[in-house]
Amino acid sequence: MTEDAEGWRRLDARMLLVHPLETLIRFLPALLALVVFRAGSEDNDRWELYAVPLIVAFGVLRWVTTRYRIADGQIELRRGLFTKQTTTARLDKVRTIDLTARVYHRVLGLAKVEISTAGGQRDRLVLDSLGVDAGRRLRAELLHRVDPAVTGLPAPTGAPVADDDVPDDVPPPVDDEVLVRLDPSWIRYAPLTVTGLASAAAIVGFASQGLSRFSQERSVFRDGATFVSRLAWWVDVLLLLGVVSLLAVGAYVLTFWGFRLTRNRLGTLHTRRGLLTNRETSIDAARVRGIRLDEPLGLRLAGARRLKVVTSGLLREQGGSDWLCPPAPAGVVTPLALRIRPDEAAVSGPLTPHGPAARRRRMTRALVPATLAAAGLVVARVLWDWHGSLLVLVPMLFAGAVALGRDRYGALGHTVTPDHLVSRHGSLDRQRVVLDRDGIIGWKVEQSFFQRRVGVATLVATTAAGAQHYDVVDVPVEMAYAVLAQVSPDLSAEFS
Amino acid sequence: MPVAPGAVLREPAHRVSRRAVLMWTMQALVVLALLLAAQVVWWLVDDAPSRTPHWVVGAVWLVAGAAYAVAMPQWRYRVHRWEATPRAIYTQSGWLWQERRIAPLGRVQTVDLERGPVAQLLGLAAVTITTASAAGPVTIHGLDLPVAHELVDALTAAAVAETGDAT
Repeated sequence: MTEDAEGWRRLDARMLLVHPLETLIRFLPALLALVVFRAGSEDNDRWELYAVPLIVAFGVLRWVTTRYRIADGQIELRRGLFTKQTTTARLDKVRTIDLTARVYHRVLGLAKVEISTAGGQRDRLVLDSLGVDAGRRLRAELLHRVDPAVTGLPAPTGAPVADDDVPDDVPPPVDDEVLVRLDPSWIRYAPLTVTGLASAAAIVGFASQGLSRFSQERSVFRDGATFVSRLAWWVDVLLLLGVVSLLAVGAYVLTFWGFRLTRNRLGTLHTRRGLLTNRETSIDAARVRGIRLDEPLGLRLAGARRLKVVTSGLLREQGGSDWLCPPAPAGVVTPLALRIRPDEAAVSGPLTPHGPAARRRRMTRALVPATLAAAGLVVARVLWDWHGSLLVLVPMLFAGAVALGRDRYGALGHTVTPDHLVSRHGSLDRQRVVLDRDGIIGWKVEQSFFQRRVGVATLVATTAAGAQHYDVVDVPVEMAYAVLAQVSPDLSAEFS
Repeated sequence: MPVAPGAVLREPAHRVSRRAVLMWTMQALVVLALLLAAQVVWWLVDDAPSRTPHWVVGAVWLVAGAAYAVAMPQWRYRVHRWEATPRAIYTQSGWLWQERRIAPLGRVQTVDLERGPVAQLLGLAAVTITTASAAGPVTIHGLDLPVAHELVDALTAAAVAETGDAT
């Protein structure tokens, strides 16, 4: 299906196969429930089969009614039969483009294209689905503003491309520089991150729920559970660590397998990753407002870190679209950060510490919860006769709190370079943000009652990108205003 | 009350309307009325013979609430200040937690004038200035309505004069 006279293009016809499949997967729990329910009844009427033609008809309808075009510097998406809905976005507002191909997309040579513009979630256009080639060409057209009429390149069409025309792994064009490529040995860092542990915990929770259904009848599980509960406690701990690590590694492989970061000559950053679901994200260089070096405790102890991008209009900040490098050795990540933001002082230079008041506040915050927990343990021992050996935890709590407080103070710091504002904080989730000075669109100076008493403030730089605001925590007030004056001299002069 | 004595930046030039104190007091009283309603419901529903817990709980929130209704509005009034120049907007707000916000007008995306029921009663208005950052809306509460209108007009004119997408 090529474009019509007005330049309208359709989705790929192969989406007609994807749609029933997606619907099926979405209603899988309902279907399973139906099957289970049916097993107990004698009703032979397979009325759910009537749904199949309906679903197919709905897919066809969606295909027929969905059209998009690029015209007059805009991309327009039109869909709906009864309520015609037209979404329009100016091409110069396009921030990032995601190409996602789940397993069934990949089998059919399709990809879902998501275009995000200024303003985030509300202003996104989703084309589900185009052929992979058509999607890539659309992306090139949008991000590079290629005007077919000017360059003489063939206009992208929505035409189906035969499966064998789409190579499984298209090598980057010659002029794209490869900035980083996943080294399989980095997978060893997977269990060290909270993300990895969280996904592992999710899988364990899901699995244990599923298993508990069967454990009533199946003796295998019951015997297994009895066996585990009889082992020494340290064997249990080792077992748990082993399982969690394995799952974290699994999640890492699923998400980051084949990770590759490239940059084309226009500076557009392009990541590609995923074992089963392939995901490609393109980030317009003009939208990048800085980078974030993450050094969570686990990674830091192993000499590793990861790199994220601070940019406006990303679709899935949680889903890892903003990752420029998965957990990797510092020797890889720091040079990579320098290639994206060539500012040695900002990326790895020393930071100005925030002084004794900030240090006391870190300590208080670590010690107060520890004291409460310790008091709770003592009370429990006295009132409810908890086991005395639990009191061993009290000194451990305090030692941990002191170590945490010191580490958190050690992280606090900021610096201003000719192009960037740098701020670092956190211990378990330490991050160093390198924010472009011209990406800062406003300031806040926040002071709680206690901060006022000790003369510190939290300086907040607001931005349209990433987390929307980046904080310099517990900096002495004079220093906060000095930073403000240094980064935005005209604003500061206006009110001083 | 200054946010930061000895700071580089001076305070914003203008105070908000004196009637803002009344507005904040009335808002505090609304909260107290809701608490009172909850207390009455509890009194009616509770079957226990002892009424001591009711008196204790009631006394606690009454003392805390009265202190809040008296102190908070005065404190707020002394903190809240604002200033708009052709190039930037600068505000100071809060009471226990205080903050100063600065946004260059070149980054302003929308200017809203908002009047809640209490504000309408007192002829007051709040002006909210949003930028492209979700973290950066600047709100000035308790402005006299004519002052608020004037400010909105000035800000709108300045924002229109700027080009670019303000990110």
